[in-house]
Amino acid sequence: MLRSYLPAIVFLVLGGAVGGAFAVLNSVIGPRRATPHKQDPYECGLPSEVKRGMRFGISFYLIAMLFILFDIEVVFLYPIAVELRAYGSYALTETIVFIVLLFVAFGYVWRRGALEWR
Amino acid sequence: MIPLATAHLKGPHIDFAGLSPLIALLGGSVLVLIVGLLGSRWIRAQAVPSLSLGALGAALGLTIWQWNAQKSIVSGALRIDDLALVLNLVLIAGAACTVLLAWRSLAAREAAHGEFHALLLSSVAGMSLLAAAQNTVALFVGLELLSIPLYVLCATELKREHSLESGLKYLIVGSVGSATLLYGLAMIYGATGTTDFAGIASALSNGSLATDPLTLTGVALCVAGLCFKSSIAPFHQWTPDVYEGAPTPVTAFMAVTTKVAAFGVFLRFFDVALIDTQVSWGPALAVLATITILVGNVGALGQSSLKRMLAYSSVAQAGYMLAGVVVSTQLGVRATVFYLAAYLFMNMAAFAVIVARERQTDLGDSIGALAGLGRERPLLAWPMTISMLALAGIPATAGFMGKFYLIDAAVSGGYTWLGVAIVVGSMISLGYYLPVIAAMWMREAPAATSPNDASVLAPTPGPLPALAGGSSELDEDGGPLSGSQPEVLVVAVLAGAATIFFGVIPQPLFDLVHGAGSGLGLF
Repeated sequence: MLRSYLPAIVFLVLGGAVGGAFAVLNSVIGPRRATPHKQDPYECGLPSEVKRGMRFGISFYLIAMLFILFDIEVVFLYPIAVELRAYGSYALTETIVFIVLLFVAFGYVWRRGALEWR
Repeated sequence: MIPLATAHLKGPHIDFAGLSPLIALLGGSVLVLIVGLLGSRWIRAQAVPSLSLGALGAALGLTIWQWNAQKSIVSGALRIDDLALVLNLVLIAGAACTVLLAWRSLAAREAAHGEFHALLLSSVAGMSLLAAAQNTVALFVGLELLSIPLYVLCATELKREHSLESGLKYLIVGSVGSATLLYGLAMIYGATGTTDFAGIASALSNGSLATDPLTLTGVALCVAGLCFKSSIAPFHQWTPDVYEGAPTPVTAFMAVTTKVAAFGVFLRFFDVALIDTQVSWGPALAVLATITILVGNVGALGQSSLKRMLAYSSVAQAGYMLAGVVVSTQLGVRATVFYLAAYLFMNMAAFAVIVARERQTDLGDSIGALAGLGRERPLLAWPMTISMLALAGIPATAGFMGKFYLIDAAVSGGYTWLGVAIVVGSMISLGYYLPVIAAMWMREAPAATSPNDASVLAPTPGPLPALAGGSSELDEDGGPLSGSQPEVLVVAVLAGAATIFFGVIPQPLFDLVHGAGSGLGLF
């Protein structure tokens, strides 16, 4: 029974060993000559304006989260749209229920003002 | 992919009658969310809870309509049988009590009513799904549908730090529990090659799979994951903090209904799917039950916060109920389900009184808030007294019948020492239940906090626009400290009365749980 998991375990061990070796060897063997420019978050371009502890508007998170939600919904719709003829009416009803729920969520988000920029 | 393109994808046959309670709950949740957006604040504050009560009522009616059904629906993912239906009744009753307790609560108001009740209803739907699941995938979906709304509900008093802390703690610990359970389910799937409970049982019954290390690791992880959810020691540490921090109606909901759902899973998953590994998990669960009884009862001693005390008490009660799972007999299943129903009444009575006192005094949930209650408000003092006596297992209460039943199951299942542990635990528990009763009947109410004096000496907090000007909590319907609250009183009195009723005349409840035991194919 456990035998069938052997390849997976070998894969995990090998992957861990190789990845770990590269990470460790780099810090052991590699030369380290720090210059002020190398310590910057970006080595090229204008001097960075970003300070540590800078606060991000919470609206960014909200919009990003909502975007991901609706984005994923569309990703689900796409394959169904392509294969709808093959999937038949069952898939169609399921999809309609799905879209209705999506619209309820959309209406809710809209009315609650989550789409306004604050 | 090619065969799919030619053949029509046939969906599973769906028995909508069997699914109807679930659909009522989820439909209610969507409806409540939409109605929460409409109308004036006052209409929302009244219409939304009424609608969610309506949805619960519909689910109750549909559950009763399905009575005596014995069928597997949705390709065998769910099982509609007496166990699922009885647990559904308990869940719906618990949720209805919660809606009543939350009617005027700060939590519902701050979460814009619609959100609060939509989350509540979807959580109940998750529990109902969990009680019926007979497929590991349905089990996990139900568990997440239960948990995720509950994490949010804990944090619905947005302006109180402890509420947010409680939500965050529950989120982290709960996620660890879910992940552990999922890992265990994956291992069991790896060992048996099926997600179906009956399939797992038949795979485990032939061959040496029942003692395979992979299976046993999976079972152990499942035990740990479910113990996180049902707060069984040593996985209970989150319980007191989360219960104390969460808004009290939510605490009441968590204390009662998550236990119902978690034990529903325990019964169905361990006593059906994993029954052939019972020799492995039986003793382990029995030891866990004993530890839980001791830890819960000793931890509750000397707690001054009533919610914290009830949290430890709920840990102890989970230990008692685990005894019914351990023996894996019909009697054990019946005893567990009976205790779950009794536990609903006992706990709801206690939490209703706490909710009422939190709004009448400024002492919060400390035991001092109950001082002198016996003389002042006997209608609140009696349910609390009954609840404490029932939780301790005093005769003529439903708690006694429940413990009696559980001990009977433990002894006849060959776990006499577990029965002894229950008795010892109950004796310790008197040490923290009786002080509550003593505070109510033998202590004088502190003068400044008694509501009668408060109205004379201190300015009433409600109609004070000069002080409460910007605060939206105080100017709506009188503020958190004033106003009558008939619905809380109704919950307290009804739950207290039911505790006594089923303690004196337990036969209706016995009849109700009878079928729950025979449906699982145990001895």
